[in-house]
Amino acid sequence: MDKKIRRREFFKRGAQAGLAVALGQGLIPKASGRSFAGAASEPVGVAVGIGADFGKATAKAVELLDGMGRFVPKGAKVALLPNVQSRHPGTYTKPEILEAVIHLCREAGAAEIDCLSWLTLKHWEDTGLKAVIDKEGTGLRIFERDESLFKAVPVPGAKALAEARILTAFYDYDLLINMPVTKDHAGNKFTGALKNLMGLNSPVNNRTFHRPHWKTDPDDVAYLEQCIVDLNKAVKPALNVVDATEFIITNGPFGPGELLKPHKVIAGTDGVAVDAYCAGLWGLEPAEIVQIRLGAEQGLGEIDLKKAGVKEAKA
Amino acid sequence: MRRIIFFAMMKRLLVLVVVASCLSFSCSSERAALPAGSLTALLPGDEVSGWERDGAPEEYEGEDLYAYINGGAEIYHEYGFRRVVLQDYRDGEGRSVSLEIFEMGTPAAAFGMFSFKRSGKGRPASMGDEAELESYYLNFWKDRFVVTLTGFDESRETVEGLLALGAAVDARIREKGERPALVGALPEKGLDPGSVKFIRGLLGLNSIYSFHTARGLLFEQGVVGLYENGATLLILDYGSKEKAGGSRAQLEDHLMSSDRFTGIDKDESGLFLVRDGKGRALCLTASGAHLLVAIGPDPSACLEIVGRAL
Repeated sequence: MDKKIRRREFFKRGAQAGLAVALGQGLIPKASGRSFAGAASEPVGVAVGIGADFGKATAKAVELLDGMGRFVPKGAKVALLPNVQSRHPGTYTKPEILEAVIHLCREAGAAEIDCLSWLTLKHWEDTGLKAVIDKEGTGLRIFERDESLFKAVPVPGAKALAEARILTAFYDYDLLINMPVTKDHAGNKFTGALKNLMGLNSPVNNRTFHRPHWKTDPDDVAYLEQCIVDLNKAVKPALNVVDATEFIITNGPFGPGELLKPHKVIAGTDGVAVDAYCAGLWGLEPAEIVQIRLGAEQGLGEIDLKKAGVKEAKA
Repeated sequence: MRRIIFFAMMKRLLVLVVVASCLSFSCSSERAALPAGSLTALLPGDEVSGWERDGAPEEYEGEDLYAYINGGAEIYHEYGFRRVVLQDYRDGEGRSVSLEIFEMGTPAAAFGMFSFKRSGKGRPASMGDEAELESYYLNFWKDRFVVTLTGFDESRETVEGLLALGAAVDARIREKGERPALVGALPEKGLDPGSVKFIRGLLGLNSIYSFHTARGLLFEQGVVGLYENGATLLILDYGSKEKAGGSRAQLEDHLMSSDRFTGIDKDESGLFLVRDGKGRALCLTASGAHLLVAIGPDPSACLEIVGRAL
């Protein structure tokens, strides 16, 4: 076997490579602090607003993409999809970010703005997002977990999920702004823009992402991640606005867990590139996250951030 | 006169005995109802000064956990989940604390879930069988229960609320639990106590280290700990020497054939050395019903830790 080497050589190679790898607690990688900021003349695929004022950081990220008017035509009906999974800190989309996106859509001339969800009103109340919706006078459409409210949508180029089941009401809208929070996930280590679309898919269909007798072995995980990629072939957001202001890097997706606070809001149309950037925020290699790698391999977006083009700016 | 004093003392003693008996009966009857009844009996009422219940409790059982922890229930089921009760509390200043009491199948499952949830970076708290206080939340386990209290800020008052409410739950759980015996297989020398995790399946294992396979990893239980030299020791229990040996052979086959691992070496003593794609060294060997895997910055650190365990 040509991969075999002698033990002495094994030790030697390790020393040469400077293998002072700090495994850390539970082998959890740490925030890398890498910067992918590109030059001003380069195309911007991933825009990053930075600051403790999360509303301003959101506006800055969208401004770097030439403003919301690029994505929201005048008179458009806009669907918003924030994450309201849990009210533990760092597990849901911040109310300030939702508020900023609503303002930006209004300024762009949106005729109607609604949040869509099949989670409960309590989820929206507990996370503070309902208060923003009430304050802004926008809509919140909550749907029962009733399969008749979802419609079958064939997935073009599907490898695992031949048919998604998307909220029928979603098709009342002209466009979707996907608004996840990036965070840890016990099953697949990472969740962000690609996975958040499960919030539009029926819970029954989502459960099929887990194969029968789920064991979380690599084949099971690969199947789950392929289903997420397939779902992104059926639904394409006009824009992703990702909350990376503070998020959990342990005990995800529900928390409570260890918090990382980069104070960043990431915007972009390319969910693969946006997720690749977010994964790097806490030291994960994008290619190691199966859904990001498969998304790139299957043409959903760019995993190479130098090619995607990243621009960061303080708000 | 002596007779009067004697009767007075007897009367006082009798009163004390009666009061103590009533208190004892009251407490024991409340606790005795716990296993079969609702978990709400474990929820603090108004005995925690300054904090009162906010809204009604919620309970979820078995597969219904998916309705509460959408997308994150699998790990609880891997350990063995029975049911959970949730209750919010609020103080007079509007601060909020969320209480979750998870009933697991066994004390070992409760310890495992606790060990999965804690970061090991918080500070220990005197509560339950083991507790860890983080900046805004508190986890402890006792008997077959895992208790998580989450504050929504890091203020002193909120942290005091976490501890007071946690202590009230602690007082309502009568039995204590024992850590799984396998934890004792980790050598004590150099072990970071907060790093110890007990696992029951691949989901727990993958959160620690991914071999990118299930081959050879159908273990019954496992334990992991971090050592002072940077190496992590993983001990997987297969229940028998034969199963451990067979599993080791399967895992080694995978490591030898996978592009993710290089630098494979095996010596006469049975130690198997490999390096993963991130440059980390792995050392594998079997011992009785156990498979031992050390993962560290260099082979010598791994060999040292495996040597301590053998």
